[in-house]
Amino acid sequence: MRSPRAWVAGAAALWLAALVVIPFLGAEVIYPSELLAGDAAISSVFWKLRLPRVLLGLLAGGALAVAGSSLQTLFRNPLAEPYTLGVASGAALGAVAAQQLAPPSAELAIPVVALAAFLGAGSVTAVLLGLARSRFGFETATLLLAGIAITLSCSAVILLLQYLADFTRTFRMVRWMMGGLAVVGYREVLWIAPWALAGSATLFGMRWSLNQLLAGEELALSRGVDLKRLRFWVLGITSVMVGSLVAVTGPIGFVGLIVPHILRRLLGHDHVHLIPAALLAGGAFLAFSDLAARVVIAPAELPVGILTALVGGPFFLWILIADRGGSGRP
Amino acid sequence: MTTGAAEPLRLRGAAWSAGGRAIVGPIDLEVRSGECLAVVGPNGAGKTSLLRLVAGLIEPSAGEVSWRGTPFVELTRQQIARRIAYVPQIRPSRIPLTVEQLVLLGRYPHMSRFQMAPGRSDFEAVREALARVGLEGLRERQVDRLSGGERQAVFIAAALAQEAELLVLDEPTTHLDPSHQREIARLIRTFNRQSERTVITATHDLNFASLTADRVLALRSGSVLACEAPARAMRPELLERLFEAPFEVVRGGERPMTMLELDG
Repeated sequence: MRSPRAWVAGAAALWLAALVVIPFLGAEVIYPSELLAGDAAISSVFWKLRLPRVLLGLLAGGALAVAGSSLQTLFRNPLAEPYTLGVASGAALGAVAAQQLAPPSAELAIPVVALAAFLGAGSVTAVLLGLARSRFGFETATLLLAGIAITLSCSAVILLLQYLADFTRTFRMVRWMMGGLAVVGYREVLWIAPWALAGSATLFGMRWSLNQLLAGEELALSRGVDLKRLRFWVLGITSVMVGSLVAVTGPIGFVGLIVPHILRRLLGHDHVHLIPAALLAGGAFLAFSDLAARVVIAPAELPVGILTALVGGPFFLWILIADRGGSGRP
Repeated sequence: MTTGAAEPLRLRGAAWSAGGRAIVGPIDLEVRSGECLAVVGPNGAGKTSLLRLVAGLIEPSAGEVSWRGTPFVELTRQQIARRIAYVPQIRPSRIPLTVEQLVLLGRYPHMSRFQMAPGRSDFEAVREALARVGLEGLRERQVDRLSGGERQAVFIAAALAQEAELLVLDEPTTHLDPSHQREIARLIRTFNRQSERTVITATHDLNFASLTADRVLALRSGSVLACEAPARAMRPELLERLFEAPFEVVRGGERPMTMLELDG
């Protein structure tokens, strides 16, 4: 095993590579010489379409991976992440409901949708926390089943709302529910950036406490970790991150599962390294996945959420089998 | 009351109940500085609850627990953790850390949230703790790949690295073979006598209690039957009352050895 710091540096290199290289790539490759030649159409595609999209991917993917890492440690469950726990579905339901309740002509501002998404995500985490504190405890199977039940319930309500909506709205909602980075300009990037970065920084601030959870709650408590406060903040922060994200991109699944899982194998479970690496590698992962989604059926584009779900579903099964249901290891 | 704030640990009418059911107490107890106290009693007597009360993991539902005269409620969790280290019996079956990482966790009460990495004093404490339990060689080993005895020693090392005045151990020798039991007992004794730290253990092993403890606390249905030196506590009458089973003393003296009597 190479040193954890080397892996964090590797993740940073990957992140930079994504930022620098991906805007040039796509169904139409832009060559640096073309960009420098000053063609208005090409530089518009590069600066106004591709670059913000890559930036959004880097931020959203990073936030999802950091949220996933923290939730896995908190619930002591390698399969926990915003998507599998139903937090993303709750956020989606909130966002859809807000759009449905708005007058037909109105295009809701991002903060309004995000607030609704946050309320949805927050309600789901509250339910999860309530379940975990009841006699069921944090047991792996119960938690995942609860996540599935919550996801199914939210999906049912979302379907109902879509059924009741008019045709254009339904189409927009369905596309949004697939999860993608296609909608983007800098406005969305600037909206997500503070939540993603401040959220990650705050979770990084809890790295020593999160590390304590790796040896069990009883020991963590005996070393002075305020478990109630830690749970509240981790769940609150991840809800805010997921809510603000889902409002823009729709639910994008499994980034928060795949990336932390690979990172834990490479650099271990110490959150001092895990959280920064998740922010960087998660971002790069989503940006590159989005690149793949843009070219795989060119000239058409695939929503990246479909791609991550296609990869993530089998990955989830693989962890479930390889890990025999997790047995408590994050 | 004569010694006042000098007593590290004092329980005054401390009790704990869960779901309306009294689990332990009310208990009055003073643990002296440098003392080794062993809590014995049948299953369900409330040994673990008493230990958790003493380690500040649960708040007494009545009465109070205090550290050198200051009630726990007036101390922060971190302040308690700098004074009291706890080794629980029940721990996660899988721990994804190396030996060194696990022992480093014991340094948490001494670390600041703004610290980017553990400092030199932290690594020094970890090295010393691992040397004490004789596991310096396993620093890089995954905890999940250790034997039961090594695991227990690593958790004790983590508690030593915490540099607390009081060490609380729940069933430190359960599931260990005799040679590992001996090692743990010697470790506890050395820690207790050479470093003059206070130790409280809960155990089912009466001879372990007799060998290591200055006083044995007999706990039954949450109440203290006796709290005396081993020579006085290890009486067949008391043990029979405690466990509802007949005992015989097979070796007397300061630290009597007892045995169950099958045909009594």
